[in-house]
Amino acid sequence: MSELLRMEHVSKRFGDFYANKDVNLSIEKGEVHTLLGENGAGKSTLMNVLIGLYQPTEGKIFLNGKEVRIETPSQAVDYGIGMVHQHFMLVEAMTVFENMILGDRKNKGLFIDKEARRKEILELADKYDFNIELDKYITELSVGEQQRVEILKALYRGADLLILDEPSAALTDIEVEGLFAMMRQLTAEGKSIIFISHKMREVLHISDRISILRAGELIATVKNENIDGQDLANMMIGHELSEAKYEKVVSDQEEVISLDHCSFQKQSKHNSINGVSLSVHRGEIVGIAGVDGNGQTQLAQLITGVIRPEEGHINIHGHEVKMYDPGHFIDMGVAHIPEDRNLQGLIGDMSIAENMVLKATHSPRFSFLNGWKLKHGSIRKNAKEMTEKYDVRCRSINQDVRSLSGGNQQKIILAREFESNPEIIVAAHPTRGLDIGATRFVRDSMVEARDKGTGILLISADFDEIIEMSDRILVIFEGQIMGEYSGQNPPIEEISLAMTGK
Amino acid sequence: MSNILKNFKNVIVSILSILLAFVIGAIIMAALGASPITALQYLMIGAFGSAQNIGTTLAKATPLIFTALCACFAYKCGVFNLGGEGQFIIGSIASCYVALRLGVTGFFGMFLCLLAGALAGGIWGMIPGILKITRGQNEMIISIMLNYVATLFMGVVYTNYLRDGSVPQTVAVPEEVQIPRMFPKMRFTWAFLIAVLLGFIIYYFLYHTSSGFKLRAVGINMTASRFNGVPVTRYILMSFIISGAIAGLGGSAELLGTQYRLINGFASGYGFDGVAMALIGMLNPIATVIVAIFFAALRSGATTMQAATGVPTSVSDIIQALVIVFSVAGMALTKLPEFEAFLGRFKRKKGEE
Repeated sequence: MSELLRMEHVSKRFGDFYANKDVNLSIEKGEVHTLLGENGAGKSTLMNVLIGLYQPTEGKIFLNGKEVRIETPSQAVDYGIGMVHQHFMLVEAMTVFENMILGDRKNKGLFIDKEARRKEILELADKYDFNIELDKYITELSVGEQQRVEILKALYRGADLLILDEPSAALTDIEVEGLFAMMRQLTAEGKSIIFISHKMREVLHISDRISILRAGELIATVKNENIDGQDLANMMIGHELSEAKYEKVVSDQEEVISLDHCSFQKQSKHNSINGVSLSVHRGEIVGIAGVDGNGQTQLAQLITGVIRPEEGHINIHGHEVKMYDPGHFIDMGVAHIPEDRNLQGLIGDMSIAENMVLKATHSPRFSFLNGWKLKHGSIRKNAKEMTEKYDVRCRSINQDVRSLSGGNQQKIILAREFESNPEIIVAAHPTRGLDIGATRFVRDSMVEARDKGTGILLISADFDEIIEMSDRILVIFEGQIMGEYSGQNPPIEEISLAMTGK
Repeated sequence: MSNILKNFKNVIVSILSILLAFVIGAIIMAALGASPITALQYLMIGAFGSAQNIGTTLAKATPLIFTALCACFAYKCGVFNLGGEGQFIIGSIASCYVALRLGVTGFFGMFLCLLAGALAGGIWGMIPGILKITRGQNEMIISIMLNYVATLFMGVVYTNYLRDGSVPQTVAVPEEVQIPRMFPKMRFTWAFLIAVLLGFIIYYFLYHTSSGFKLRAVGINMTASRFNGVPVTRYILMSFIISGAIAGLGGSAELLGTQYRLINGFASGYGFDGVAMALIGMLNPIATVIVAIFFAALRSGATTMQAATGVPTSVSDIIQALVIVFSVAGMALTKLPEFEAFLGRFKRKKGEE
């Protein structure tokens, strides 16, 4: 095998901060090379250097043995480097065909030769066994199909090196199998793939070689032989981390919240809720397992009063809810760790202190005269205590939360929600995008709250998280509950089958 | 600490924009053959040179403060009320009607006139608010369109209902309801004090009450505010009504304190001037008041400058426009990551020394 790409002593510095430091990376023709690392380890920066979004502060890049300077993303395309981002870069209101030819420079004239382009694309799709309908709009495609469009687009531009950034995050198991089959076909043809993933099982399954990044530095590149997940995890975080084990309980306490045949936009299969009944008791964690987009978002929003069920109703403490309004649900003790912490959980341009009291400014603890004079002193004191207790790493409590890292932002939401002494916590993907340490902290906090008698509904697309945390597991598929399983020795095969609707 | 730093940065941007605008203004003056230093001196003298001049400046500042605060308040809640002018005019019409037709007199009558103006402005501001929260209409377009409606309606009022004989203007409001001057020799009235106080009240509301806190939260991130239990639509409607009421109050104060009658061109341009000043004041109500006074000074000084040096008043307009251009550009600059990085390097260097 010969070498396709070599990065020599590449560093990228922002101010005094090295996002990448002296990275040496070599990619061979026809290999799947995995980049492994925690959040903030520098994977994205390194890839952005490769696709011309950033210029390296130091170091050289060689392609096929020749030194190259990649100054813009379109240059990267010319060099045969294509990237499929984790969040797809497709124009949703356009058709597949229009997305494929977007930014394409094969056209010389003023008009687009649509027939020729269509023929080329269809030939390419045939070659890779893609079943693709060129005239469908992107919004009509499933996540897996959108991803195939992205990959095909990169291939259409002539990519020899394909960068896949967490491609399996949003896919079903079957779709992941399809993705892997395609990756093998591509590498068999001599194309190379840089694969970015957190999922150890997949990494060990598909990779030829694995490079581990930690704090911006490349720790090691290893062949995928005789290594296991624990070795990789240890290299990734730099010290041994024992697997957390949480004790599972069976709650015999009373019910705090229940859904009674709730439906929301049930005519649609995606992002809908169809006749869901479920209940959460004090002192238990109920996990909702399922592939993203099967109604989890809507479920979380129903239980927190953000949307109103079109059919059925919700009971809190045995009483039917009459008013579907987040403020009302908060008053009844429902806390919410929303799935999108920046969009839904935090006010980015407000300070840490202000975000900590977002729900409580009317309370006598933080204001006089029913809200007419804020107690800035108490607000500051609260923020100081909370940042300490929840280990929020910040320069000052007056710092805007926007400038914090994802993990620290999540800790602020945790502090606010847990400290309100809620009866129910709805946690949607609470550890998404967090590194191992922060994830551990979030999970510990949830178990602690459970042991104090809070009822917790955990919604997560991370299957391992559901298995590890839940006292009871419900599986959601196309808006319906497919089955209920005990959290003690859960039948993993059965649950993963249920997640695909079987 | 970082708050102070942030504000400090904003103040620096504003001051630099003003200085730059004056530098370019001076170049234009020199190109016109006048000595920039003398011209600027006369500009200053015209604005602040005597008690009388200061009075004129503050009188000119009064309506600008109201429309600027109107824009500022709505912006803080994340909605764009570009209808300050219409609300200002509707306020003055209501006030004019109450003063002329209801026969109110004395201090109480004046108070009633002002109240009517604020109410009418609030109702006028409520229209785009209701259309936004119930029908999702773009509040900017609706509020701008309503400006034309208000201006044309004022035309109907001064040419028909409240016409002064055969002249296309309304009858002057009776003396008993006119707002008196604070000092007899200076042109500005107690309305100026009301405007400044209003700036402080709005500041207190936004930064020291729970409702103001929530209003700001809605202004920055509506989704997160809703998820965290803030009744977002109620706050948006409230901000439109209050913002309109501020402009309406300004309109009636202008009528009762300075103009006394509605006439073609009344309030023309105040609405958008207010928006620009609120932006230059970085949406801080107190800073907004100061900016409005600064702009009024440029306007009142311009005549003296023209008379003394022959530099046309339009140079003052150019300076005003440049201040707006530079501060908007400056604000955009401070948000660039390159600028943050530059600042970070600078700070660290200073730390090392």
